[in-house]
Amino acid sequence: MGAVNKPGGNGRDVARAKSISAGAISAPARAVRIDAALAAASDRNAYLADDSKTEIRICAGTACHASGRVALRAAVGKALADRGLTDKVRVVETGCHGFCQQGPIIVLRPKGIFYPRLKPGDIDEIIETSIVGNGVVGRLLYRHPGTGEPLALENEIPFYSLQRRIVLGLNGKIDPFSLDDYLAHGGYSALAKVLKAGDPLGVIAQIDESGLRGRGGAGFPTGRKWRSCRANPGEKHYVICNADEGDPGAFMDRSVLEGNPHSVIEGMVIAAYAIGAENGPVEGYVYVRHEYPFAVERLRWALQKARERGLLGKDILGSGFDFDIRINQGAGAFVCGESTALTLSIEGQRGMPRGKHIRTAAQGLWGQPTNLNNVETYANVPWIINHGAGEFAALGTATSKGTKIFSLTGKVVNGGLIEVPMGVTLREVIFDIGGGMLPGREFKAVQLGGPSGGCLPASLLDEPIDFESLVAAGSMMGSGGMVVVDDTTCMVDFAKYFLQFTAEESCGKCVPCRVGTTRMLEILERISAGLATVEEVESLERLAEDVVEGSLCALGGSAPNPVLSTLRYFRDEVMAHVVEKRCPAGVCRPLIRYTIDKEACTGCRACFTACPSGAVSGERKSPHRIDQKLCIKCDACRQACKFDAVRVETGVLSLAEGRRR
Amino acid sequence: MTNDEPKGSALYEVLKGIDFERRQLVGKTTRTGLFDLVKKKDGSYRCYSCTLCERTCPVDCIELEYCPEFPEEPFDIEAARAAALATLPGESCGAASACVMGEAPAQFVPEIDMKLLDPVIAGIRSGSGLVEALHATQEAYGYLPRKALESIADEMHMPFSRVFGVASFYAQFRLRPVGKYVIDVCMGTACHVAGAPLVVEAFSQELEVPVGGTTPDGLFTLQTVNCVGACALAPVVRIGNDETYGRMGPTEARRLVRRLRKQEVA
Repeated sequence: MGAVNKPGGNGRDVARAKSISAGAISAPARAVRIDAALAAASDRNAYLADDSKTEIRICAGTACHASGRVALRAAVGKALADRGLTDKVRVVETGCHGFCQQGPIIVLRPKGIFYPRLKPGDIDEIIETSIVGNGVVGRLLYRHPGTGEPLALENEIPFYSLQRRIVLGLNGKIDPFSLDDYLAHGGYSALAKVLKAGDPLGVIAQIDESGLRGRGGAGFPTGRKWRSCRANPGEKHYVICNADEGDPGAFMDRSVLEGNPHSVIEGMVIAAYAIGAENGPVEGYVYVRHEYPFAVERLRWALQKARERGLLGKDILGSGFDFDIRINQGAGAFVCGESTALTLSIEGQRGMPRGKHIRTAAQGLWGQPTNLNNVETYANVPWIINHGAGEFAALGTATSKGTKIFSLTGKVVNGGLIEVPMGVTLREVIFDIGGGMLPGREFKAVQLGGPSGGCLPASLLDEPIDFESLVAAGSMMGSGGMVVVDDTTCMVDFAKYFLQFTAEESCGKCVPCRVGTTRMLEILERISAGLATVEEVESLERLAEDVVEGSLCALGGSAPNPVLSTLRYFRDEVMAHVVEKRCPAGVCRPLIRYTIDKEACTGCRACFTACPSGAVSGERKSPHRIDQKLCIKCDACRQACKFDAVRVETGVLSLAEGRRR
Repeated sequence: MTNDEPKGSALYEVLKGIDFERRQLVGKTTRTGLFDLVKKKDGSYRCYSCTLCERTCPVDCIELEYCPEFPEEPFDIEAARAAALATLPGESCGAASACVMGEAPAQFVPEIDMKLLDPVIAGIRSGSGLVEALHATQEAYGYLPRKALESIADEMHMPFSRVFGVASFYAQFRLRPVGKYVIDVCMGTACHVAGAPLVVEAFSQELEVPVGGTTPDGLFTLQTVNCVGACALAPVVRIGNDETYGRMGPTEARRLVRRLRKQEVA
């Protein structure tokens, strides 16, 4: 076995020599050795996660953490200790359950009773009723958003029952700090299967057949990427996991890394084997955002454990294959999600993309062939190997296979992380799983794909979600951010927000992106201030097309998408700003005024107290008024008012109206 | 703009706002004009401090001046030297830098303890990359002091300008000390539609500093961050690395600052 992966040497001759020597050990003997190594990797004495045992699962995702899971964990520990149950009931702090809007979340096994929005004070009652006893605490249960009936079990809740969780499957089940939990749920069996078969090209063929496409945004076929990276000669091959999830509003990669880091590691080792085995040394990197401290911590821990148990590092599972992964942290540059910028950033340079006439698969990190995939892509790989390419390809549409994770956020009732098969419609996702809009609000648009994507209006709600149809509609899959907005969001302001983001994040290397986005932003600012002319809107459109054409990398090439899709579907609203000098949603400051409705105002002085600039005046119990000269339009009074008496007005006042004021 | 203007004149749109003015140095007779930094309409420089010009200049007449206290003056062109070179090719006038910035105000330049840098240097020797080294430095000092960057440059055998170029490229690296409380307001999409701009503004007014600024008492630094991934709690504000506040509004923001101030006084 010694000849496998000897460093140095170039290309095919070495590969051929190696494949001969790899045959020195017989296949059955190899299989026995790998099976034994996998069995030895799991610690038999460890308490394994098991759906049939009594268990308390506390969501430890970032959103639940922010809404107080630490106090919750302490309360659970105390309640169990009080009853002498500490040794009998296992408490697992799992990764993100996905239902972030309802955090902090607790799920009780074996039944799967789901308790949302808990406070430490509720814990005692829950332990008494559901762990010691056999009932449920009715008042704390989740209620159906439509009918209002209480739903006790996790899998009854429409948010979960309508999903298909392949990648997120283990997220709410296992302890991310426990390798044994992952092994008990069949973890690393896909890796063992691949190593036993000893057929790297077969792995690539299987990935090809499954139709898996990159989940980072562009949707490049993963199998083809692996094959081309494998075919390129180099001293070393690199396998990089892109966890630089820069899209604002997308957090699925973080949740996978936080909840199930081993699935990503396993996927990467399989990829490394497919690309590098019999082909020279391979090395792995995970490029992760510095803004995700939990993810880094858990990944570091997982890598350490995998190394200790022989699942990573030298001679993986006794197969003779060597591969190790290093963590590389980003530093807050959105452009570093782009492949060439990312490799430069790992090399310790400014992350400025280069032209892609030579792909990273040929010359990437340190000039060597590099395979770069997204977190979610790697996390899909073990499932495909275990369940077969056919089962994966059976999900989804003709061109987009499998499932996709979306982070559903914005003005929906049930925001969170969802995983659905490709090809479901936007309506199903937003209204069935997401529970629709907040009460009294109307759906206006859904923004997909972050700053590179676009907004889709209500008329396209029945569009299936797959790579091609989204692009045709003027948006894109992106990394899977899905932000729903209602009639209180101004589309001009929304487009301005994204452009501001890309203009700021532009690395400054090429002119169309650096100057073009800035100029576009200036025009949008004039539109939202009511100063723009119709001609300016036209030149905005032309400029947007030029920026798409002329930019060096995908950041600039897709930066105008939010603007173009807004002009395509919401032109009326843009024109209202330009022609009527009116912001229909009441957001663009220069075009709005805050006034108090004399009929509705009760004179409670809530707005008076909230106003930071002293613009509100009036006696107690008599209608107040707002001095327009002092008002800074900070919205504090409207948020403070309990009677809906603070109104936002827009449009030009008639002379008579102005005088009356 | 008239309608008969040819289509594709977007290049004009791109170029028309750029200030191409090239100024003559007063009182000097030169054969060529002098280069100066282009200014934006608001008077600040357009220079990104990318260090490309410093690295490209064949006669080394551009030098990076590291003055985080004066971020609006990122570069200093050695005007006198360049003028001399223009008139007398091949000879340097040897004039000192034409830096007009003077000494930095004392209160913002704390002495740094170089011992804290030892683990970083050790890390570099064991093979950590530049970005990693900068992260470690920032963890040790809270920002990237010039002296530390110089040591890193020495250790890695690269020009200081390259280290500074990387440090200034990434949004997370700070070149100035921060306050005791670092307020990160999430500006992700979900937070934006839920009203994050109003929250930033409220913080900014209450603290009387712009985004990116530190209060004169050194207590608060106001920053924005692209997305912390807690979209269900939008708008989100994070203080330090641990405390996260969800569903903020302008009033809550002001209240939070007042509470922290009171806590400090007590």
